[in-house]
Amino acid sequence: MAIKIDALKCTGCMACEMACGYHRDDGFALLSSCIVAYRTKEKKDYFGVILKRDEDLLIARPEGTEIKRIGETEDTPANGKQQDASAKPMLLREACDLCDEMDLGPMCIKFCPVDAISED
Amino acid sequence: MDYLSANKILIVDLTSADVMEDELSDELVGEKIGGAAVTKHLYKQHADGDPIVIGTGLLTGTLFPAAAAGVITAKSPVTGKVSHCPITLKVGLEIQYAGFDYIVIKGTSPEPSFLWIHDGVADITSAVDVWGKNVWETTDTWRKAMGDDLIQTIVIGKAGEDQSDLAQVCYNYWASGDRWGFGKIFGTKNLKGLAFRGMGLLEMAEAEEFVELALDVLEEVKEGEFDGKKGIGDICTAIGEADVDTWLAPIVHRHSACYNTPYATNTFVFLDEDPQNLTEPENAEPGFLVTDLFGLVGFKKAGLSAEDACKLLKACAQYGIDAAAVAELSQAAGKASLAEIQDSMAELSGAVTRPGNGIFSPWCPLQPVFGKFDDIGDDPVSWWNRRMAVAYIFGIHPIFAVMSPEITEEDLLEIATIGTEIEFSEDTLNKAVDFLLN
Repeated sequence: MAIKIDALKCTGCMACEMACGYHRDDGFALLSSCIVAYRTKEKKDYFGVILKRDEDLLIARPEGTEIKRIGETEDTPANGKQQDASAKPMLLREACDLCDEMDLGPMCIKFCPVDAISED
Repeated sequence: MDYLSANKILIVDLTSADVMEDELSDELVGEKIGGAAVTKHLYKQHADGDPIVIGTGLLTGTLFPAAAAGVITAKSPVTGKVSHCPITLKVGLEIQYAGFDYIVIKGTSPEPSFLWIHDGVADITSAVDVWGKNVWETTDTWRKAMGDDLIQTIVIGKAGEDQSDLAQVCYNYWASGDRWGFGKIFGTKNLKGLAFRGMGLLEMAEAEEFVELALDVLEEVKEGEFDGKKGIGDICTAIGEADVDTWLAPIVHRHSACYNTPYATNTFVFLDEDPQNLTEPENAEPGFLVTDLFGLVGFKKAGLSAEDACKLLKACAQYGIDAAAVAELSQAAGKASLAEIQDSMAELSGAVTRPGNGIFSPWCPLQPVFGKFDDIGDDPVSWWNRRMAVAYIFGIHPIFAVMSPEITEEDLLEIATIGTEIEFSEDTLNKAVDFLLN
């Protein structure tokens, strides 16, 4: 099973990030989430979702989904643009484990209010 | 207060630059629950300092659906009443995790300043470099200075600095629900605004039970009448402004939601880019996020095109002025064009229509939106006042509160009890609501 994200359904509400944070920390917090709402381009209305997986990052952009090997995004930006400071912390986070110890299953899927996240 | 709390009340005296902390007691929460009932209590406690009180609802920042809202409480300079406006987008969330449940700001700073609140630390910081700058420039300056684009801000623009009755506090770059002239109070205190950032953690007493109930409520909520609708256009249709949606549609880019709110109440319009473009725009400021439907409707009624109306909304947000008030007063003064309205903004004054009883912001429609509420009865005014009181106490997005009858007082009380181990009864809630409404 894998997580699939529809960035165009996403409204940037961050419920997935908080739900994952609850799975990681048994409380409400955002620091440990493996799924993160990308929201640093607020004035451009450019937002999406990044999921850290074992080997790569699943980047759900409005224009389409991209897979980047971990390390590539930070060190060698393909588009030549300056990296956001907030991109760095993804390296320090745990990879998604599909909430395998939780009865509810992947929390991000359960708590997304617009069904932008699903099982693939 | 061990659960759903940072257990801290911050008290800032801008005159003396004293910063103190107080504990948030179980007794206060047991009596007033949270949000606006606590901020009003703190307002009365510190009234001699003409305070601004900022706080979060009891559930703000949790996984309970639509638990996005914080609150600003102060005495409105235009109505003379102690009033409340919601803090939405991701600002309410960030306040919850920045380390303080409530912030009381008293006195007047001798020079322009702002409060930088981060991970349980509160710094009164000079704002001399941004005094005179617009809202957008100020938020950009603070984010760059702290090196973090996720800092959330409450900011005033020139309207607040000049102490206009129409001055509005803004959130990051966008209009807020401040219809009360709170921006003027910030200006009189020489307070340019607040910046928040935090990595806190909220613990719950019975975490699994809390999360399961939150999920049950979400699953009911998702079956609600708003399903399939989105953005500010559909809300306008629901409140009888049916042609706003089609008028706005050609410039709509995307819709976005406040924290954990199932309906996307905010609509971004592109003014300088093709709105069909989904890639990251090259233009740093291609448009505007419409967060205030009555400002939008007001400019439409003035006969403006959607593009001109949204350009004015952007100008209002940058200047830090209540767009709905600008629309009303401009029409009354016979101003009809974008240029005329924008040029006269600084001089606008006069009585403005503010529906309701002056307690909760009429930024939220004073009627159900999409949803059917069985308890509305023959008294929609009382229904709305109570619904707002409950929303502001628990931290529920006010517009979503009038959309979703699936969010019940019973569920709110039950989850609050589960989360805190404090027994909250219907009687507790009734008393807190009465306290807010009287």
